[in-house]
Amino acid sequence: MSDENRKKEEMTEIQPHEVRPGAVPPNASISRKLRDFYDAVQEEGIPDRFLNLLERLEQAEKNAKPVNAK
Amino acid sequence: MSKEDEIDDRGFKRDLLASLPNLRAFAVSLTGRHDKADDLVQDTIMKAWANQTSFTAGTNMRAWLFTILRNEFYSQMRKRGREVQDSDGLFSERFSVHPEQYGRLDLQDFRKALDKLPDDQREAIVLVGAAGFAYEEAAAICGCAVGTIKSRVSRARTRLQELLGVSGEGDYGPDAGDAAITSRAFGS
Repeated sequence: MSDENRKKEEMTEIQPHEVRPGAVPPNASISRKLRDFYDAVQEEGIPDRFLNLLERLEQAEKNAKPVNAK
Repeated sequence: MSKEDEIDDRGFKRDLLASLPNLRAFAVSLTGRHDKADDLVQDTIMKAWANQTSFTAGTNMRAWLFTILRNEFYSQMRKRGREVQDSDGLFSERFSVHPEQYGRLDLQDFRKALDKLPDDQREAIVLVGAAGFAYEEAAAICGCAVGTIKSRVSRARTRLQELLGVSGEGDYGPDAGDAAITSRAFGS
């Protein structure tokens, strides 16, 4: 590790929550990776099987209860 | 009367749909694989739909759905045994099935590390660090004390840092200020 890197790390330890513009503090990487992983799944959107399932559930419900039942 | 019911139904479905990508990401985090996660989400949708009268309109539907999914996950685990937390061999097989889904290599590594956490730590760090819940909400979903969630998140972070060879600490979740407090409270 170069002296410069070591110095940067020491600074990070002293001021752990100060983020310099354009720099990613090492202590943020767990949180960032977790969000990256999670967001990647979220961005896959909603698979058709769930849209179809909800459609079927909705239809079944409509068929089951007569309109204006009282 | 029936008109109002219809409007409520549509609202329920709309809110459910809006929560699905997040709910599904939680399921993938818990199960470690997409096919099982989607089965779990399907069971959750059916349960939620059947119990929609028990959902109080105006309250947090996302938290309600996450609670159902989590309960479903653990009750299925109890029934099927611990096949989810399997051996290393089976584990690598799991991750070779759909490599394209975890495109970036560092995300694959992260996912493997996440999977090595104990269930309670994994769900805690995912709920607070990714799904967007406050510690209090995560505690309600998991049925435990807020302090328990905080210590699980803390232990999960430490373990992930070890597994991924990342140095440094702090930055415990969505809120840096809160993180600093947590960090002090748990003396890490």
